[in-house]
Amino acid sequence: MSEGREVLRTEGLWKRYGRITAVADISLQVFDGEVFSFLGPNGSGKSTTVGMILGLVRPTRGRALVFGTDMATHPWPTLKRIGAVIETPAFYPYLSGRDNLRALAIALGDIPSTRVDAVLETVGLRDRARDPHKTYSLGMKQRLGIASTLLRDPDLIILDEPTNGLDPAGTREVRELIPQLAQEGRAVFLCSHLLHEVEAVSDRVAILKKGSLVAQGPVDELLGRGRYLRLRAEDHAALMRALSNVPWVSGLEQRDGYARVAVPVTKAAELNQALASQGVYVSELAPWETELEKVFLELTDEEVAP
Amino acid sequence: MTRLMAVEFFKLRKRMMTWILAILMVGLVVLLYSIFWSVSGHVATFGENAEFTGEDLRRALFLQTSVPFSLQVVSSFGTIFAMILAAGAVGSEYSWGTVRLMATAASGRVRLMAAKLLVVCGLVAASALLAVAVGLIYSSIITVTNGGSDFGFVTPGFVRDQAESYGRTLFVMAPYVTLAFAMAAIGRSTLAGVGAGIGIAFVEPLIGELMRLAGNPWKEIPNYLINANSEVVLLQNKLPDVVRFGPSTQELAKNHFNGVPEAVFILAIYSVVFVALAFLVYRRRDITA
Repeated sequence: MSEGREVLRTEGLWKRYGRITAVADISLQVFDGEVFSFLGPNGSGKSTTVGMILGLVRPTRGRALVFGTDMATHPWPTLKRIGAVIETPAFYPYLSGRDNLRALAIALGDIPSTRVDAVLETVGLRDRARDPHKTYSLGMKQRLGIASTLLRDPDLIILDEPTNGLDPAGTREVRELIPQLAQEGRAVFLCSHLLHEVEAVSDRVAILKKGSLVAQGPVDELLGRGRYLRLRAEDHAALMRALSNVPWVSGLEQRDGYARVAVPVTKAAELNQALASQGVYVSELAPWETELEKVFLELTDEEVAP
Repeated sequence: MTRLMAVEFFKLRKRMMTWILAILMVGLVVLLYSIFWSVSGHVATFGENAEFTGEDLRRALFLQTSVPFSLQVVSSFGTIFAMILAAGAVGSEYSWGTVRLMATAASGRVRLMAAKLLVVCGLVAASALLAVAVGLIYSSIITVTNGGSDFGFVTPGFVRDQAESYGRTLFVMAPYVTLAFAMAAIGRSTLAGVGAGIGIAFVEPLIGELMRLAGNPWKEIPNYLINANSEVVLLQNKLPDVVRFGPSTQELAKNHFNGVPEAVFILAIYSVVFVALAFLVYRRRDITA
């Protein structure tokens, strides 16, 4: 999805802390109107990368450009166009939700006070707006974090685990909000561990492992949607032999008790015919589909939970 | 910059700690006035050589010396409160994690730190004025109720003296406040700033005294420290020795303290270095928490 205007670009981004390499050679692009998910296990360098995008962390090498501005040298006023919640949203515990947003609005400038109430309404915190932040539940703090990102009416929204601590209803609201923000023309840079949600809302995904990108691309492409078929027959060995005899079949693999081939879904009937001509009749022939979670775990060598 | 100052003021104004420190400041002025007044009625003579009388003490609490007396309380106890305020303004941002929130909402890190420091200094100056005002009210009551209704001493020269005393007091507080501010920024915590500030404020006079006793080459070193030079500057405030907390003019002369210009210069250097250190560290360092 490269039709939109480029919002964020990182060029060979590195961050080293002494002998430890936190981020190695990360290059990515994010365009307006898309949801870009940035995934990786804990400690893989996601927050450090986000820190460099926001100009909070100086890259050892490379650049993070937001709207063409190098964030390491001149982050302001570009920062006004970015709404970000990094890890757990942090606010002043003695200030109310409204006062926290008011403080932020004063610092940013040019934000009318009505906007504060409007975003509190959007995230469902209007009734508790006058209560001190320290009395908020984790879910409410998360909602206030989202409100703070919306306050500036940003063109780029960075959300790090936005559904953390939210109840199922709140999680669903955020899940619905994210694509809506992108539809409004904003770019959403999403970091989340909830891969089912990421899969549901993302246009493109980048997967990080030990500071390096191991995969990047559109979700459909990463999941191989429409590019693979899975087959099953009573005589599995005969099926594998027959498939290997078809000259235009490639990427023959055995996965989860199925034969998987890199054949587009549109050629399913043709493949069935080719197998039948060899006397092999399949009991199952379907598009091969996987989940982002599975791809993620394979790419990051994370153990699959039992 | 104005916006950032407005935010810092908004945050500190809404913070309970700010008000508690201001109330303590004012309360101490009232408390010390009350104690001294009470003592003046119960002692005939006092001091190392019984050089003071109860009447001396009573006269020192009258309106004429009210401003320097209140400012003395500000410079001693108020400095501690000011250090807590300064360190808290920086250090709390780290402990709450709001340092990232503000750094991404501010038009520059140096500006953000400058706004914090200016607002802290403004609040310290305002608290000092409040303490002076309360001291003036208290001493007016004392003066009038004890037959001192002649206010002929209030001349333009007298008013100028009081204003200079106020300026001197804030000036000698500056190195301690900036020290606490810088250490909180470097140590990323309120405790680092308060600890360093109070540590220096209490330990330095003791170490300095020991160095003077140790003779050459040690005895000159205290002249380059904060405390000794603060004493020199504060001695210019026209306060009778009977209520003065620090060393007298004779003691300073005996121990070869710096002259006023040198003391002012050294204190200014300290303040500038601490501010520069805080700005430099905050500007260059990664903000990760």
